[in-house]
Amino acid sequence: MKVLVCLKQVPHSDARLDIRDDGAWIKDDGVKFEINSYDTYALEQALRVKDAGEAEVVVVSIGPDRVTQALRTALGMGADRAVHVNDPEAEGSDPLGVAKILAAVAAEESPDLILTGFMSEDGNFAAVPPMVARLQGIPSATAVVQCEISDSSVRVERELEGGAMEVVDLEMPCLIALQTGANQVRYASLKGIMQAKKKPVDAKTVADLGLAGQVGASAVKVVIEKIYRPDKGEGAEMLEGSTGEVVSQLVGKIKELGLL
Amino acid sequence: MGNILVVAEIQKGELREASYELLTQAHAVAGAGDAGRKVRSLVIGSGVADAAAEFAGKGGGDTYLADAEGLAAYNVNGWEAAILAAAEAAEADLILLSNTPSGWDVAPRIAAALDAAFVSDCFKIEADGDGLALYRRVFNGKLDAKLSVSGAGPVVATMQPGACAAYEGTSQGATHPVEVKLDGAKAVFVEVKAAESKGVDLTKADIIVSGGRGVGDPEKFTEVIQPLADALGAAMGASRPVVDAGWLPHEYQVGSSGQVVQPKLYIACGISGAIQHLVGMKTSNFIVAINKDPDAPIFEVADIGIVADLFEVVPALTKAVQEAKGG
Ligand SMILES: Cc1cc2nc3c(=O)[nH]c(=O)nc-3n(C[C@H](O)[C@H](O)[C@H](O)COP(=O)(O)OP(=O)(O)OC[C@H]3O[C@@H](n4cnc5c(N)ncnc54)[C@H](O)[C@@H]3O)c2cc1C
Repeated sequence: MKVLVCLKQVPHSDARLDIRDDGAWIKDDGVKFEINSYDTYALEQALRVKDAGEAEVVVVSIGPDRVTQALRTALGMGADRAVHVNDPEAEGSDPLGVAKILAAVAAEESPDLILTGFMSEDGNFAAVPPMVARLQGIPSATAVVQCEISDSSVRVERELEGGAMEVVDLEMPCLIALQTGANQVRYASLKGIMQAKKKPVDAKTVADLGLAGQVGASAVKVVIEKIYRPDKGEGAEMLEGSTGEVVSQLVGKIKELGLL
Repeated sequence: MGNILVVAEIQKGELREASYELLTQAHAVAGAGDAGRKVRSLVIGSGVADAAAEFAGKGGGDTYLADAEGLAAYNVNGWEAAILAAAEAAEADLILLSNTPSGWDVAPRIAAALDAAFVSDCFKIEADGDGLALYRRVFNGKLDAKLSVSGAGPVVATMQPGACAAYEGTSQGATHPVEVKLDGAKAVFVEVKAAESKGVDLTKADIIVSGGRGVGDPEKFTEVIQPLADALGAAMGASRPVVDAGWLPHEYQVGSSGQVVQPKLYIACGISGAIQHLVGMKTSNFIVAINKDPDAPIFEVADIGIVADLFEVVPALTKAVQEAKGG
């Protein structure tokens, strides 16, 4: 079985978010990046398929040189091979552009199973995975917290609201977008990291994938006009002062509420 | 310009409130544009002709009806086929869905099928000249974004449930069946498993002390969060990453995929305030937020905010509460 895992590198969850001068996204120089947390569950799921039997795990990511780090980490964790779409022409793509690139990679690789995270922690669109599936003409399921994989189909549990689960059978090939908490993600071992250095990373351009002019900033259908700090509305009454002062004001409030 | 198609949802036999919220957005956009732009709707399900007629009269306008046994439960292939058929029949170039488990599952596929612009989880959509201005959150609620659409192609958007009021107007509309081809589906619905009953029922607690990723590790929950909860006679709650990491079982999770709570006092420690957490606690009577990031969105819903290291404030608060109770 061949499993393709799509990974995105996103700013670290504790990174300071400074807005770029043109207002359209955050400044990413000096920002620490990490693998999107949702995607780590997809990678773990793929590695479990491999642990359970014969499987080749291929990871793919789109982005500049810094993305190599994410791919190396994935290879260190146990993936077999990486595809890195590293091309300025891909930059600034909207979710449909990203999906077209990933679908083109999927068309070249013809995996039995595509695993992705449910959404990215930066854009929060949750758009790319079902788009890739549709472009490839295969079924998909999102917000998946459990999968049972057999030879030609996958039974998934999708999370609904309030803790209910929807059970769905998908015919392979299919795409599954994982929700956080779906499994316990492993760490790369030292041995794994050493071995990863010898594993192949295949660099691709947009033109290699036959998508010249169809993706990237010039082809977007959705434009981010600006990002900004949310309007705080009335907001909270902010308590200031030393810890002691803050705490005694708070205790006073709790007493006022009649809860102390 | 084309028409607007609203994809309604039925839950437990009733049209969802979120579907009427879509109508509010649809009518606002249609009213601002050229007069020829109509609001049309789609109701999908099995035995849902009455619901479709109801929707058609309450703002949905001419309403397409995809009614088949195979559509009784959500399934991605059936919904995709129904929405594409209705969009074509409605001559729609704006398709609105709710950002619910069905909406987020199928909407991106519709956009890919139509090579359309796609914007998810909007809290507001406005007509902007000939185009649209779409507003949504990014970075898990830490920042807002304003987006526009380039080109004249179709647009698919999903709306955050609860972001606007439900439509209360009326409309005159007929229902029109749409034919949906259901054989050959590659995704088959099996069943819905109800939420497991909770050992911890947070909905009954008067006070909840909740910890988030900022608490750092499971030991800190026992050392810092639990003592404050004990001192106040409160229940303990958590955000999702805490549960995902296995620090606490799922029954402690507050939010859209956990429990929705409304205590007299909710104290959020090291929780940023992503929308999925907020929907689970924002109607609490009184909210205190302790977070080291002054821009954390949790402060938007809090009554009292403290920008500080929780490891300083929480133990001090625990002590002060113990003293207040003892003295
Ligand atoms: C479909 C779906 C359903 C979801 N359901 C839920 C749900 O039911 N419940 C839920 O909670 N989430 C849910 N989420 C996840 C949600 O989007 C957020 O990722 C999550 O709520 C973030 O949790 P957090 O605030 O603990 O973590 P973070 O966003 O990482 O925030 C941690 C906060 O701690 C602060 N902090 C760190 N250290 C300290 C310190 N020493 N002192 C003070 N503050 C500190 C930081 O400033 C930061 O604001 C869901 C997501 C999806 C997509």
